[in-house]
Amino acid sequence: MLNRTKQPIVNPIEHIDMVQAEKRLLSNGIPVYFINAGSQDVVKIDFIFEAGTWFQSSNLVSSLCNSMLEEGCRNFSASEIAERFDFYGAYIQLVADQNYGYANVVSLGKHLPAILEVTENMLKHSVFPEYELEVLIDKNKQKFLLENEKVRTLCQKKFTQVMFGEEHPYAMNNKLEDFDQINREMLVQFYQTYYHSGNCRIIAAGRIDESVLDLLETHFGGSDWNQKLVPAAEFVMKPSPQKFHHVEKANGSQSAIRVGKMWVSKSHPDYIPLSILVTIFGGYFGSRLMANIREEKGYTYGIGSFVLSLKYASYLIISTEVGNEYVEPTRKEIAFEMNRLQTEPVSESELATLKSYLLGEFLRDFDGPFALAGSFKAINDFGLDYTFYDRYLDTLRNITPEELMKLARQYLNPDDCYTVVAGSMG
Amino acid sequence: MIHFERTKLANGLTVIVHQDKTTPMVAVDVCYNVGSRDEHPDRTGFAHLFEHLMFGGSKHIPSYDEPLQKAGGDNNAFTSNDLTNYYLTLPKNNIETGFWLESDRMLELAFSKSSLEVQRNVVIEEFKQRYLNQPYGDVWPLLRQLAYKVHPYQWPTIGREISHIEQATMQQVKDFFFAHYAPDNAVLVVTGDVQFDQVVTMAEHWFGPIPSRNVKPRNIAQEPEQTEIREQTVVRDVPNDTIYMAYHMPERLDPAYYATDLISDVLSNGNSSRMYQNLVQKEKLFTELDAYLSGDYEPGLFIVSGKPSNGISIETARKAIEQELDRMKQEKVSEYELEKVKNKMEANIEYAEMNYLTKAMNLATNEILQDAELINSQVQLYHSVTASYIQEVSQQLFLPENCSVLNYIAKK
Repeated sequence: MLNRTKQPIVNPIEHIDMVQAEKRLLSNGIPVYFINAGSQDVVKIDFIFEAGTWFQSSNLVSSLCNSMLEEGCRNFSASEIAERFDFYGAYIQLVADQNYGYANVVSLGKHLPAILEVTENMLKHSVFPEYELEVLIDKNKQKFLLENEKVRTLCQKKFTQVMFGEEHPYAMNNKLEDFDQINREMLVQFYQTYYHSGNCRIIAAGRIDESVLDLLETHFGGSDWNQKLVPAAEFVMKPSPQKFHHVEKANGSQSAIRVGKMWVSKSHPDYIPLSILVTIFGGYFGSRLMANIREEKGYTYGIGSFVLSLKYASYLIISTEVGNEYVEPTRKEIAFEMNRLQTEPVSESELATLKSYLLGEFLRDFDGPFALAGSFKAINDFGLDYTFYDRYLDTLRNITPEELMKLARQYLNPDDCYTVVAGSMG
Repeated sequence: MIHFERTKLANGLTVIVHQDKTTPMVAVDVCYNVGSRDEHPDRTGFAHLFEHLMFGGSKHIPSYDEPLQKAGGDNNAFTSNDLTNYYLTLPKNNIETGFWLESDRMLELAFSKSSLEVQRNVVIEEFKQRYLNQPYGDVWPLLRQLAYKVHPYQWPTIGREISHIEQATMQQVKDFFFAHYAPDNAVLVVTGDVQFDQVVTMAEHWFGPIPSRNVKPRNIAQEPEQTEIREQTVVRDVPNDTIYMAYHMPERLDPAYYATDLISDVLSNGNSSRMYQNLVQKEKLFTELDAYLSGDYEPGLFIVSGKPSNGISIETARKAIEQELDRMKQEKVSEYELEKVKNKMEANIEYAEMNYLTKAMNLATNEILQDAELINSQVQLYHSVTASYIQEVSQQLFLPENCSVLNYIAKK
């Protein structure tokens, strides 16, 4: 008989096939971490350089240097590079973040020889033509102006400045003037210092066989771009003494809100149980923040909390955009939900739901070559190994409401948090 | 190539199964043949508001998300002009929870008053976040209104105006449900490590008892042919001028659709494309320039949008675009260019086959369009496009009287 009121039996997730990355060293010492998985003839190869904003001496240098890698090299002009990738239906994504500069290549396996030939030349022999640089600066300037119109961008920038101090490399503090001060020599110097084999690692995923590894050795394993790893400098954080900050943006109908604080690093023993706490708080659709502020009150289209783990610092961030009239009520509810986690134990049923959900997410994080590569990078960036995930599963299966409440008391005090609101106070 | 099996239940529900043994997960995708094109002009945004209400509890199940999360599942949905698609993923041994949830909300919603009130508000905030409080946020609504005078593609899925959402009543919600949400107006797709027979048995069990609702075939007034160029200029508080040019193009099932898709690739897909190489890189007339299709099932739009470089007037920018479009009409594309865009198309299809959920969504949306088999025949359809055919289609497409121009000017 069909009983629609009762959920079908839920089976526990017992077996998780955690395919692990294997490691191989190229002759020049570049570590290649590879995951052979997936059904299609597709390969993704990420070249990761220690070349993020952490290493730059002026704003924009790291990101522009990275973008210029596709604007011309010794054997290929910018348009020839573009032709090569487009003709073979391959992609190269160039992006720089706080710590790393990336060149991420996706290609059909059968075209990899042609694609790696040009990639090698781009990474080793970039020539930084003036004309292309000028075009690139103009494009980025316009993007910058556009981004600065968005309350979410204004809020995020201010938030990082408040947490780290404006001069810290983890603070977003690009200004319009910066675009006029950048020149070719600064980029070339950055490139020569940071883009070489000593500063590089490779993560490859997809259909990876010996022939792919041989190609990597041929193109990137030589001593021709060999330098030593450049040690990272140290910077002092100068957080703002003031907890609340406002960025005025007139005439908008919504304001962006960021609330957050410094957090423990991935290697800290509390990191894993805290990640579970942060998920209950605002990390999934059924979270406290979503249930209260979106699904019960309708103040926002979305609200979430997450931890941003960077190499030298981590922070908790709660982020949302709400109608201007809901700013104060939303701030109040965020604090209310923190207090509730500190004073009431999470119910067994809510915790059981969360555990199942996170186990499902865990399965997804290890499903398919690209997800596997992402899960590997998430530990490798921090010098951790796969035992991190064993500990995660163990913690997830065993954590209790009391432990979570204790952690909330220690880490989730509304008074410890910085708040930034960007929008119209009018 | 995606192998799948298909059947139809007695109540009209189409069931499609594709086995992918490489994943421990399954995707369950339920796609309804209803989109914003099915809305009344005075009650726009309804299909999308409805998508939100579908998560507010169904006849026998007060909460949708919680039981799904208990089974390790995750879900989402989207609404387009043409359809509304709901999809979830689960560990494969919990697939039945997906069938239980999806069949109950196809049977009947809870029609909860409080859910309607809250979701109205959530959608209004979404309206602000995506359209009102974003630079260039009203471009799409303006462009649609300019290009369409009769067809419901003239409003965006979020709705024409906030008041339509504010005024939605429970009776309208119920009417909308029973008019469009029905097994005979939907397709169920399951992908993952599953057997066809197992899925059909479960579908019979959970979806079989839902009555067919004899959904009426849609009868949408077609847009009359545009006979003269349309132009609108607006001034907004944005950092840069932008020009948008929209041309009416063939429907999705027309062979010319594939040629039009390749035209947009020749012009603007990738840094080696014509418009990027000539107008962004060489002549530095634009800092951003794109050509793309709206992707609609009925006759849609071919759009060119560009941000002129500093000091370049919108007139100069427009002339430069028109020159590139004219070249498409006057000369055949080279064999090399054609091979390039076809290679790229083929590679993209291969990339899309890596993921079980993407495959489920593509099967579902193609079945709503006409036939899930299209997913496999498209490679051949793209391959059969010739250089002369591209020229011919360009000549029909890029006519001044077929164009709507939106000049979006930055307030100084």
